[in-house]
Amino acid sequence: MGSLSLNYIVRRLLVFFLTLWVAATLIFIIPRLAPGDPITAMVARMSQQAGFVENADLIIEGWKERFGLNDPVYVQYLRYMGNLLRFDLGLAMARFPSPVSQLVSRALPWTIGLVGIATLIFFTVGNLFGALLAWTKTPKLVKVLIPMSMIFTSIPPLLAGLLLVYIFGFLLDIFPQAYAYHHSFREPEFTLKFIGSVLHHGFLPAMAIVLVTFGYWALGMRGMMVTIEGEDYMILAQAKGLKPFYVLYRYMIRNAILPQMTALAVSIGTLVGGSVLVEVIFNYNGMGTLIFTAIREQDFNLIQGTSFILIVTSALAVLIIDLSYPLIDPRISLEGK
Amino acid sequence: MSEQNNSGSDRIVLNVDNLRIHYATPQGDVIAVSDISFKLYEGETLGLVGESGCGKSTTAYGILQLVQPPGYIVHGSIEVEGTEVLDLTEEELRKFRWTGLSLIPQGAMNSLNPTMRVKNQIIDVIESHEGKANYEPFKDRLIAFLRKIRRPSRKEPLRKYLGEWQRNLTLLLRYEPLKERIFDLFQQVGLPNRIYNMYPHELSGGMKQRVCIAMGVALHPTVVIADEATSALDVVVQRIVAQTLVEVKDEIGVSLIVIGHDMGLLAQIVDRIAVMYAGKMVEIAPVENVYANPLHPYTQLLIDSIPSIKERKPLKITEGITHDPRNPPSGCIFRLRCPFAWEHCALEEPPQIIVEEKHEVACHLFDEQFEERRSNAFAAIANS
Repeated sequence: MGSLSLNYIVRRLLVFFLTLWVAATLIFIIPRLAPGDPITAMVARMSQQAGFVENADLIIEGWKERFGLNDPVYVQYLRYMGNLLRFDLGLAMARFPSPVSQLVSRALPWTIGLVGIATLIFFTVGNLFGALLAWTKTPKLVKVLIPMSMIFTSIPPLLAGLLLVYIFGFLLDIFPQAYAYHHSFREPEFTLKFIGSVLHHGFLPAMAIVLVTFGYWALGMRGMMVTIEGEDYMILAQAKGLKPFYVLYRYMIRNAILPQMTALAVSIGTLVGGSVLVEVIFNYNGMGTLIFTAIREQDFNLIQGTSFILIVTSALAVLIIDLSYPLIDPRISLEGK
Repeated sequence: MSEQNNSGSDRIVLNVDNLRIHYATPQGDVIAVSDISFKLYEGETLGLVGESGCGKSTTAYGILQLVQPPGYIVHGSIEVEGTEVLDLTEEELRKFRWTGLSLIPQGAMNSLNPTMRVKNQIIDVIESHEGKANYEPFKDRLIAFLRKIRRPSRKEPLRKYLGEWQRNLTLLLRYEPLKERIFDLFQQVGLPNRIYNMYPHELSGGMKQRVCIAMGVALHPTVVIADEATSALDVVVQRIVAQTLVEVKDEIGVSLIVIGHDMGLLAQIVDRIAVMYAGKMVEIAPVENVYANPLHPYTQLLIDSIPSIKERKPLKITEGITHDPRNPPSGCIFRLRCPFAWEHCALEEPPQIIVEEKHEVACHLFDEQFEERRSNAFAAIANS
């Protein structure tokens, strides 16, 4: 016990693939519910710029034919699903002829890096602060300071982002206002200077996510800690004369963190969604910005591709947390029998 | 009745004097324990009984310095072998805990940390008090390990040779110097060795209780307090676990306080019984006296209310403590429910009257000057 059972893994994987299928279907349907289509939108844009496009109708028809948009919906759906199975996300319509997979593979690492590091920070800081808020031996000063640090919790990440850009990017001018790395680098490279630049650029967007999020985790953790403090084993731990710090992490945090892990798994989807806006504000070249432009340009293929990849990564993150759960909570593996 | 008569020792290991514990509430303090005093002798088992809410658990937690807020100790003195527990600093108290006083908790079901293996929960208490000094340094173990390396001989089967490697590697990497000691503890309380690596949820209720007993005696404390240690178990397991408790206690020679409301079970295992009522200790007596000849009117009613499996009899005692615990009645605390109460009971609080050695009772009836009233009252009871 305390390990994974095969049954549990299989069941969990089935849920994983079911999630992907439902998500893929939804992201196929939803863009098609909006009026208009990508080709018309693109040609309209072109004609706005040029004033007039000759044979616009013919161009639209030709491209629609080429992208298969004239086929019945179920044919489009089956072709889309078949392509997905082969990891073929098609060509971006608005940025023809770049394949969607190429655009995604350029943007995805940035988002994973940004959201991953932000998650790591707010989960650690949030839980630590929450634990300290509830712990009876925390210094009074800390207990006063922590709630004050949580004032950002009630504002949306969008506003926090704007505020941070204004203060640190514009007024103080210590952090860059946009992009993931300095424009003097034409391509990402593995040098210390480049990594430094990435960290420097990533700080504000990451902070925008962390500031508005960690308060929730701190409050959740505090609640769990208070519950744990009333448990019988806490009285015994005290009676045993264990060192207070050992009791804090081995008896309290260790048990209080379990529901927090579940909550993290559930909230990963929201998190990725929230990071889209932050990326757009900071013009960060990740998935958020990509998906934003894709929606603006009504690029079906790109919307489908980016959304699908985001869903795959979120579902994968949830899967990893779920599979690691029996390793964290020894009682869980019983369920897999 | 208790067979063992090791209450002979007169050395006092625990002396509780004038202990008072309140629970703060917005409507005023609830008096949970009201100026109680008692002594625990070396090697003795003392039973602490009373109704729910009479303050027996609070007394125990008071002695252990574990009264949870909003409870607090108002005044009193708790001396364990000459150490005044209330005067210890926080760090001194931490070190004193479990070596001086240990606890076998109420509801052992939830008293073990669910995310820690049984072994680690016993190891942590040993290590936090004795330190990791008994660990052989890794360097020495590595040298010993390297010395043991040899080439396989021709005739030797490969499996045997690899087995030796595995054993040596285990000794090097998973060195567990406390394993034998924990196995000894398991044996003392009748636990199988296989639970060493298990988690609490994999054990039965009786086993968890035994783990708690093993843990409680691991450091050979002066006094062990068992707080309703058996109340969550069925009668058979209850009896076995209680027996284990007494055996372990005799084996390592600690003094024991058993808190419970199961008078029948306590009769089997304790030497003396202290009866509490509404935060007061009304009678403390050798167990034979309490059952054969209870003196305090409350003790009499309590003994009378023990259900018999041979006959059905009506309940004489009314349920619950009747007065407001924030404003106890004047004089004797029990007078509102006492069948023998008279005017004098409201005037003066009865002192602890020593009727014979190790037998004290707090009731005016046993005052010399009310001799006549007592014989009349008891005669009336006997006639009815």
